[in-house]
Amino acid sequence: MTSYFIRRFMLIVPTFIGVTILVFAVTRLVPGGPIERMLQEAAMAGADVGAATTSFGGGASALSDEQIDELKAYYGFDKPVVLGYLEWLSKVVQLDLGTSTRYSEPVWDTIKDRFPISIFYGITTLILTYGVCIPLGIVKAIRHKTTFDNLTSAVVFFGYAIPGYVVAIALLTAFAGNLGWFPLSGFVSDDFDDLGTLEKIWDVTHHAVLPLMAYTAGSFAVTTMLMKNSLMDNLAAEYVRTAIAKGMAFRQAVFMHAFRNSLIPIATSFGSNITLILTGSFLIEQIFNIDGFGLLGWESLVERDYPVVMGILVISSLLFMIGNILSDICVALVDPRVKFGSGETSQ
Amino acid sequence: MPLLSVCDLSAAFDTEDGEVTVVDRVSFEIDPGETLGLVGESGCGKSVTALSIMGLLPKPAGRVVGGTVGFRDESLNDLPAERLRAFRGNRIAMIFQEPMTALNPVQRVGRQLAEAYALHAPSAGAAAVRSRVLELLEQVGIPAPDRRMAEYPHQLSGGMRQRVMIAMALASRPDLLIADEPTTALDVTIQAQILELLRDLQTETGMAILFITHDLGVIAELCSRVVVMYAGRIAEQATARALFAAPRHPYTKGLLASIPRLEGEPKTVLTTIPGTVPGVGELPAGCRFANRCPHGVDVCRERAPPLEGVAVGHDVACHRWRVVEAA
Repeated sequence: MTSYFIRRFMLIVPTFIGVTILVFAVTRLVPGGPIERMLQEAAMAGADVGAATTSFGGGASALSDEQIDELKAYYGFDKPVVLGYLEWLSKVVQLDLGTSTRYSEPVWDTIKDRFPISIFYGITTLILTYGVCIPLGIVKAIRHKTTFDNLTSAVVFFGYAIPGYVVAIALLTAFAGNLGWFPLSGFVSDDFDDLGTLEKIWDVTHHAVLPLMAYTAGSFAVTTMLMKNSLMDNLAAEYVRTAIAKGMAFRQAVFMHAFRNSLIPIATSFGSNITLILTGSFLIEQIFNIDGFGLLGWESLVERDYPVVMGILVISSLLFMIGNILSDICVALVDPRVKFGSGETSQ
Repeated sequence: MPLLSVCDLSAAFDTEDGEVTVVDRVSFEIDPGETLGLVGESGCGKSVTALSIMGLLPKPAGRVVGGTVGFRDESLNDLPAERLRAFRGNRIAMIFQEPMTALNPVQRVGRQLAEAYALHAPSAGAAAVRSRVLELLEQVGIPAPDRRMAEYPHQLSGGMRQRVMIAMALASRPDLLIADEPTTALDVTIQAQILELLRDLQTETGMAILFITHDLGVIAELCSRVVVMYAGRIAEQATARALFAAPRHPYTKGLLASIPRLEGEPKTVLTTIPGTVPGVGELPAGCRFANRCPHGVDVCRERAPPLEGVAVGHDVACHRWRVVEAA
């Protein structure tokens, strides 16, 4: 088993190289880039100074060819793709993600600032999702086809059917705009630093209620129904009948026997949630103006801030791969029949 | 006084065509220490009878719709769930057909065994439970029990798993063991071992066994009395000796004639009972065997035959058993 996980960790390297080559090449191939953006900005600045300033020849460029070449060299666009990639990769290995073309500061610093916000929302979402879905799934399975079961199914599927950003806008309009119960946007209030500890906690919570509702509304359906169906399968299993034949109460049999078995399918998806923690949802972040990872990724793509795009890719792809391995570990933890890579067959 | 007395027990299931009675007024008794065989084809209601006795019918689709189950002087079907639990696994234990699926795949067998014992001995300490588990594993002939108890069901062979199931059933020294086709899923050699084990354990503990099977060979080997079921009803009941020597019901005769015999001519056609068991939705009004019976006449199709005494302890449900006998 250990050797299996060592192998899995070693496989991260080629996968990582594959993913980054692909995205690096795409950033080079698609039209537009940091230089074009700068030219555009320079042209607009030039237009502001005076419409009388004549541009060079037929091209509407505000910079000379030499200046452009200089910029290209500065950003490393003068080299062929392969060389550029190798250069970028060797820096990444030294934990240098480069410099943001938009903020002119190290990519790592840009990303680092967003971590606490994204991790806060990610972990809270994760806890809320599992904290609600697992108990809800259990109750629904036990009370299959009762009013409670039908009603909650309607609610979770309603949440599932509506996109998160629509929920976000609806909540924002109703509870922040019209009723004014919650702040309109942001992660904390402007005077956050002057608040006491309790007030700080209240402030963060107050700001988080609506975005969290928007984040989680759609995520209940899948896990709840997975939990419900998986538990129902196990409740019908013969070993639960054996437990009851031993003299166990039904309720006891549910928790002592069926519960752990029905967590197996849930465990397979647990690890991949680690990526959700960071990537978040840029649309919801945009709506609530939360300066998280999702929003940063979206903006850097729009602004062609490729070093940041690549930096986010590095982090999220690593997390994704580690998340998959984590899922395997989770499955092995709940299901003793799972033996990775030892070549031993179990039924 | 009998240990278990089942009287006019009926059980029904909800299906898409409405409620269907799958066990129809079944009555039999088991004395302490006795082995009663319950035999019949697949789907004849043997297992449902057993599950009804234990109160284990799948809810909410199945339910007992009539009759009583008495255990000593208690009536089990009147007991509240809580009191019934004190019987299950304690006075009446049950083992099932598929030892693979009947054990929890993610729990060590030792823990599952310990649970069976501790449920009915709540005051037992951890050490006492452990020593009882080891004792039980030894009793059912599992070598190296201290190592085996730390294993998961998938690490054991089918025969070993069934031994674990039997050990679990024995945990509280039950008065009655209901064995629902415990050897059907096993290899023939393992079958013989399990049957021998059950017989030895019975001699050792004095428990009664209700042995459910479709295999008449197993009945002959283990049981003192036999109840033959067909399509939810009892067709015939007798001592094993009487049943094998002089079966009265045409169905029992057919079953016995269908067993290939070593002393017969090799490579001859196997005798079978023509036709199939009527499905639960299409049960005939009269004798349920009438459509397959070589002796069926009009009265058989119109009226269900009652159980009639042939001899002491030998009953048959057939309008024409005297005629058949004379022929």
